[in-house]
Amino acid sequence: MIEQNLDELEEKSIYIMREAKERFKNVAALWSMGKDSTTMLALARKAFMGKVPFPIIHIDNGIDFPETYEFREKLAKQWKLNLIVQKSEIKPEMSGYACCGANKTVALKKVMKEYGFDALIVSIRRDEHGIRGKERYISPRTKDFKWKYKNQPAELWNDYSSKLDKGGHIRVHPLLDWNEIDIWNYIKREKVPINSLYFSRDGTRYRSLGCTHCTVPIKSNADNIDKIINELKNTKVEERSGRQQDKETAYIMEKLRALGYM
Amino acid sequence: MHIEQITMLGHKDHGKSTLIGSLLMSTGSATEERIDDARNTSKRLGRQFEPAYILDAFSEEREGGLTIDTARAQVKYKGKAFEFIDVPGHEELIKNMLSGASYANTAVLVVSAARGEGIMPQTKRHLFLAKMLGIEHFVIAINKMDAVQYSQDAYEPLRNEIAAYLDSIGVHSQRVNFVPISAYSFDNLVSKSKNMQWYRGKALMDLLLTCHSKNVAEDMALRAIVQGTVETESGMAYTAKILSGKIETGSTVRILPLGKRVVVKSLYVKGKKAKNAKAEENIAIGVSQDMGNIRGSIISNSAQTKVAKAISTMLFFVKPVSGAAELRFNGNKTNGTITVDRIIDTTTGSPKSTQKPKALDAGECIIRLNGKVAVEEFSSFRGLGRFVFYKNDEFAGIGVIEKVLG
Ligand SMILES: Nc1nc2c(ncn2[C@@H]2O[C@H](COP(=O)(O)OP(=O)(O)OP(=O)(O)O)[C@@H](O)[C@H]2O)c(=O)[nH]1
Ligand SMILES: [Mg+2]
Repeated sequence: MIEQNLDELEEKSIYIMREAKERFKNVAALWSMGKDSTTMLALARKAFMGKVPFPIIHIDNGIDFPETYEFREKLAKQWKLNLIVQKSEIKPEMSGYACCGANKTVALKKVMKEYGFDALIVSIRRDEHGIRGKERYISPRTKDFKWKYKNQPAELWNDYSSKLDKGGHIRVHPLLDWNEIDIWNYIKREKVPINSLYFSRDGTRYRSLGCTHCTVPIKSNADNIDKIINELKNTKVEERSGRQQDKETAYIMEKLRALGYM
Repeated sequence: MHIEQITMLGHKDHGKSTLIGSLLMSTGSATEERIDDARNTSKRLGRQFEPAYILDAFSEEREGGLTIDTARAQVKYKGKAFEFIDVPGHEELIKNMLSGASYANTAVLVVSAARGEGIMPQTKRHLFLAKMLGIEHFVIAINKMDAVQYSQDAYEPLRNEIAAYLDSIGVHSQRVNFVPISAYSFDNLVSKSKNMQWYRGKALMDLLLTCHSKNVAEDMALRAIVQGTVETESGMAYTAKILSGKIETGSTVRILPLGKRVVVKSLYVKGKKAKNAKAEENIAIGVSQDMGNIRGSIISNSAQTKVAKAISTMLFFVKPVSGAAELRFNGNKTNGTITVDRIIDTTTGSPKSTQKPKALDAGECIIRLNGKVAVEEFSSFRGLGRFVFYKNDEFAGIGVIEKVLG
């Protein structure tokens, strides 16, 4: 995995976030308390003079790990986040596509409508998945949250001024250029607080965090950031291999994204 | 680590995505899972293994055997890092091609030598566009040599025709490397192929090692685009992105098109107070005078940055437009009126005997601007010498400024 220049990445992300804040009336950001969206918050603090200027949404299906809830409370207080917790309905038998596709999206639609958000910052990265590699920095979604990926707007030369579908919203992707290892290098350099689940306990750790139903840990002895970075330098395995919903059928990620899954 | 961004260019089906897929595999840059996924998909679709599926991730792309939208993949080779940008070769998808290729400084043109393929409309059009986008380095890869028994006789005519075309659009072909390859069979990708002893040059990746784009000069004059405002401890500040040069607290800067000179009272970089900032950084500045909403204004201490009422341009039409259009400079909108001087056929580089543009033509045009805009000639500073244009809220093309007409 290639380690990119952190200062360059940081500047690109700051520019995109400031652009979103200027262009849209009512911006919010999704926070899963994972490493990427927490890094996004750290970047927002740099872009906006030390404070995160938009509301932060956690779509809470009630089955996240206890460590994740603790981390949420602690950081929300420390960084004075304007946190919106939106509960999603979860049935015990649900997992994978049904869960991520239906539940989380329904909850997200509800909160977007209630607050009237017109732009949503989502911390996806191109290297996570082939489909995510096809995203734009600023990307419209229809009023049904659909991603019209067969006809994406042109995006070049600092022009991110694609039009908004009536009743739709804009997804903003400030972390699109980052690689997984860059996130860790940045967390280390900037001392970004991080969810303890990423660190190895009894020979396993979580490399990517979903909820308790769908995430499985990987075998790893990396119990600190340096060891994680070392592990990633040599890995030949995909980051999301512990995520069930990516695997169910061919093109599942495409379906999830077309449906508005983050 | 510097990452050289390299765009693929070329007509549909000539092997751009396959080439990136094969480069990922032969440099050990793709995970087993992505390769297996491509392999399984090929099997499921009853096809030979298609390395292109490592890039082409949408179901429509895989089933249809084409790239719909741009994607990227990174490769490390001999201590250097590259990011390959895949683009679609279909002419209907040229807006996606531009969205990808615009990030690159180097291009690899893929031309298929297979029978019935050869030099096609997008082969030359993509080169024309690459020149317009300001791409500096070109490598020409003549692909599918396996399909023509690796014969030099199939290679030479293609090589010669492309070389002549490059010269005609102002790219010195003598400084451009040509390499015969088979993306599918890995010939001349990372190691020299035994199948083409007649080829004396290096393998593709070794040719790319010499393509290195310059960093933005910090020792140039200050240029920055104003993005908006942000609240700081010392009140409202303007946010801006520095394109070239440096800025310091206490210095005087010129705000265009207003033409005001203001003093930088406070400066913030990454949310913290700073004494100075340089190219590529996003800043916030408190200044000696409140100028209201100046989003889209240019901070420039360069004499080359001028306030324009009219510009002489080269346009590329994704949709045919003349008369009124909306121009967007770094995202900022200005209305203007386009008058066509001369239309250029982008598949030949020669002028057409009409003044009515068709989609995918280029044109030398004069644009009268309704408002004042601070711009620069593309040849003196790219970041301020280019724009996109829209008609009825639809993306209609790109333009570069050849001359500022005052
Ligand atoms: N024989 C042979 N076939 C090749 C070679 N490279 C690519 N192909 C085949 O050509 C077809 C098109 O390849 P792609 O890589 O999808 O072409 P592309 O340039 O990306 O096409 P668009 O995305 O539509 O612009 C595929 O079936 C490939 O297997 C090669 O070196 N030799
Ligand atoms: Mg392709």
